[in-house]
Amino acid sequence: MTNRTNSWRAGLQRGGIELRHLLRNGKEMSGHLTNVVVALLVAAYIDDDVPGTRTPMDHLILAGFAAYLLFQIGLISLPQILVTEREEGALLRLRATPGGIPAYLVAKCLLVVVVAVGTLALLLFAGALVVDGPLPHGPGAWLTLAWVTTLGLLAVVPLGAAIGAVLPNPREALALIMLPTMGLLLTSGVVFPITALPVPVQHVAAVFPLKWMAQGLRSALLPDSARTAEAAGSWELPMVALVLTAWAALGFLLAVPLLRRAARRESGSRLSARHRKAAQSGALPA
Amino acid sequence: MTTFGRTDVQPVIQVRDLTMAYGDVDVLRGVDLDIHRGEVFALLGPNGAGKTTTVEILEGFRQRSGGEVSVLATDPERGGDAWRARIGLVLQSWRDHRRWRVAELLRHFATYYPDPRDPGELLALVGLTDQAGKQVDRLSGGQRRRLDVALGIVGRPELLFLDEPTTGFDPQARHEFHVLVELLARDEGVTVLLTTHDLAEAERLAHRIAMLVGGRIRACGTPAELARRAAAQAEVRWTADDGTPRRERSEDPSQLVWELHRHAAGPIAGLEVRRPTLEDTYLHMVHREADGTDGADGTDRDSDEQAPAA
Repeated sequence: MTNRTNSWRAGLQRGGIELRHLLRNGKEMSGHLTNVVVALLVAAYIDDDVPGTRTPMDHLILAGFAAYLLFQIGLISLPQILVTEREEGALLRLRATPGGIPAYLVAKCLLVVVVAVGTLALLLFAGALVVDGPLPHGPGAWLTLAWVTTLGLLAVVPLGAAIGAVLPNPREALALIMLPTMGLLLTSGVVFPITALPVPVQHVAAVFPLKWMAQGLRSALLPDSARTAEAAGSWELPMVALVLTAWAALGFLLAVPLLRRAARRESGSRLSARHRKAAQSGALPA
Repeated sequence: MTTFGRTDVQPVIQVRDLTMAYGDVDVLRGVDLDIHRGEVFALLGPNGAGKTTTVEILEGFRQRSGGEVSVLATDPERGGDAWRARIGLVLQSWRDHRRWRVAELLRHFATYYPDPRDPGELLALVGLTDQAGKQVDRLSGGQRRRLDVALGIVGRPELLFLDEPTTGFDPQARHEFHVLVELLARDEGVTVLLTTHDLAEAERLAHRIAMLVGGRIRACGTPAELARRAAAQAEVRWTADDGTPRRERSEDPSQLVWELHRHAAGPIAGLEVRRPTLEDTYLHMVHREADGTDGADGTDRDSDEQAPAA
């Protein structure tokens, strides 16, 4: 029992320190901020309305970017952090430390949630101030924003952790994740109405969480009249909840054993072997 | 050395007939070890001899194929957090927590342990007080390793694993590190299991040394015992009257030197007596394994029929 509380305390402390390091790290911060700036620039240059509605197109785009930010933090940033820290030996050090692995997970959750919510808030408030972007109207819409964000993170964070547990190394990791993510960004109706895409593409995109995260956020951020531009002509909120919950369940089912396996497999010799390999691939030009 | 031979206390590390096989490959073929409290024990052996596997089984990072292993009276495969808290680890391949500041990292890891050392005192102990506010990234190689040592002992471990701890140290840093390890073992009764390729380091630090070759302990004892056992003959070198360098092996170098002096009736140019060194013993053991022949000393438990690890 005391061990468990100590892991929580150590994990929260760890997450706080990592957040501070992130805020101080100009390069990484500018990476997160670039996304926000790009979204705002795109929104500022687009004047059209969403076809068939009187909702400005930039509102749809900002809602889509908001979903993509959450998606990206769970499925790109998190796996990269996990793979990098595994390779550097942080995971092994925590494995050799009493209560270290639970503390590590607590810290990572804290980090991901704060970064995700922080970036989302920044995007929405900066959007509202600078380009007259959308904000939820009324308590019901705020509630929708809250649950879609929460479920969205639950759908992508465990999945990202599972991916981070199996990817070989940070160099290959980025390449392996980027391509499918970009594909989903273009096919999920994030930055333009999904109805502009061929129906088979819409069906494929509907399997993955990004489309539903974007749709859920649109329902929170856009006026109700904008739902005519949706593929189904409505927000399909029950479906949003169902698909995201399914992905969350799948993510947890995969993440728990895969993370356990990744931690169990860490040892000094595996670490050295990876470092040797990294040094070789760095020494030999590709 | 006699204090380590006590039989009334259970050894900190006790290994009986430890075997490990990866598929068809036998990496460990029956390792026995007893390491006692406060002892600095060095495990030597060529790459691929099974050193790393042995140590990782003891650290609880690998499942063994067979045999009995007890570390701090616990089977490492079932060691929980309370057991982990009594063990410290210093590995050579750590380059983690680069963004953290030195003191911040040490303070954080102190929170995991029930009775941690004071981070400030620990920094002083490893000579990093001036680097306390520095980012881990910016430390030199030797400083980074000393930080690893500090992290390894922050929880006051009873048992410390050191894996090639001084690789990349300059002679001064190496000396300071040796003094620190001796201090931990002598004053705090920390048991240290050291794996190294540096024979001089093993000789300097270790109370006892085991040589692991081909998945078995080929020799185990104090550095002096080992040196005596393998290459019992000392080498005497001198320069003959005609200026040619001469060398001769002898069981009794003193006798040989005395005879040389009597013969020459005066000083002898370039006279040198080389006692068998740990390196001689080591090379002897490794070559014997590679040749597939047994040693003359008969200390092995069996004459091996296995193919040598060419």
